[in-house]
Amino acid sequence: MRAVEIVVLISIILGFALLLTLGYQYLVPADDIRALAKFYLLTTYFNPNYTYTAGATETVTAIVWDYRGLDTLFETTVFYIALAGCLILARGLYKEEKEASKPGSGLSVIVRGVTKITAPMIIVVGVSIALHGHLTPGGGFQGGATMAVLPLLIIVIFSLAPLIRRGFTPSRLAIIRGFALIGIGLVSIILALIGLVLGINAYVFQSLPKPDAPLGFPSEVEGALMGGILWFFNLFESIAVVAAFTIAFIAILLIESRG
Amino acid sequence: MDVSMINTYLLMVTLAAMIVNFVLSLYGVFFKPHYIKKIIALSMLSDTANTIALYIGYRKWVNGTPPTIPVITNRSIEGIYDVVRRSVDPLPPALVLTAVVIGLATTLFLVYLGYVLYTHYKTLDMREIRRLKG
Repeated sequence: MRAVEIVVLISIILGFALLLTLGYQYLVPADDIRALAKFYLLTTYFNPNYTYTAGATETVTAIVWDYRGLDTLFETTVFYIALAGCLILARGLYKEEKEASKPGSGLSVIVRGVTKITAPMIIVVGVSIALHGHLTPGGGFQGGATMAVLPLLIIVIFSLAPLIRRGFTPSRLAIIRGFALIGIGLVSIILALIGLVLGINAYVFQSLPKPDAPLGFPSEVEGALMGGILWFFNLFESIAVVAAFTIAFIAILLIESRG
Repeated sequence: MDVSMINTYLLMVTLAAMIVNFVLSLYGVFFKPHYIKKIIALSMLSDTANTIALYIGYRKWVNGTPPTIPVITNRSIEGIYDVVRRSVDPLPPALVLTAVVIGLATTLFLVYLGYVLYTHYKTLDMREIRRLKG
């Protein structure tokens, strides 16, 4: 056993030395960024007719959902599969729902009042972060994570009962999450399907019209930037993330109440 | 001693602290006996790796002004070229965003796995579980 640990430690040290050898020119920041980064920054929002661009002013969201869109789609799938695995491991907990939702438990009046005041603000900030994801730093995941603070606060401060009483059961949240994931899938393939029906050239994950593919999502609506496909992805991703976090919080609390 | 050497020294302090953090979290993952402490060390490990990735995307100041976030606020051609001249690398934040979500998913799964371990063995101490032999 001891020999195995020593071998693991030595290989970690040697591997870290290899990483430092390969990346030593990046340890002190350079005067200029790499050519790939310059390409992303230049083509994110470049010319008036939006050919070969993402049409968004926020480069990170454009990279996440447009340039590397399939990667992010599979990342969302990994999150969904992990959550499904968690719910399978925690099966048999739903019988405890009625027992766990005792009314009258919770914290003091001051904490409850402040939570009631800040609840709409949290939702507004989360929606703003999610739907401005193509204009300002943020995006669907960040906005959804911000909004998921509210169910956590409600669970900690008011107990689980108000959430369950308003219909936010884990099974219903899983259905909401499924609809949001179906929305992500449909947005990513709908233009390819329309192109298949009409006989026009179109791609999966096509955001804006390209010279060889005339179909595309709108880049501007009434003068406001839409970022093509990015707005729809941010909307559905925030719904999916807030539902997923709420399911996880409720399931962890049910484990705790069961002992 | 000129200013650039002090700047480089401070950056190296940051980098050395991150590497020490990396080593400590690896020690926690391998040698801490409790399952929850292993999970905490694992999340420390992933956060440190993400911070190093963001550090690599940083750049030097341009003409005495700090680098900006990669967001285009002035939508004219000059504004875009100004962002290209002054922005940090946008690729590491995008990769870190993916890594954060994946790390969250794995942490969530490990927590539930710990719940199953606890209901099965009535302990989360890895030495005890190893002694009980499966």
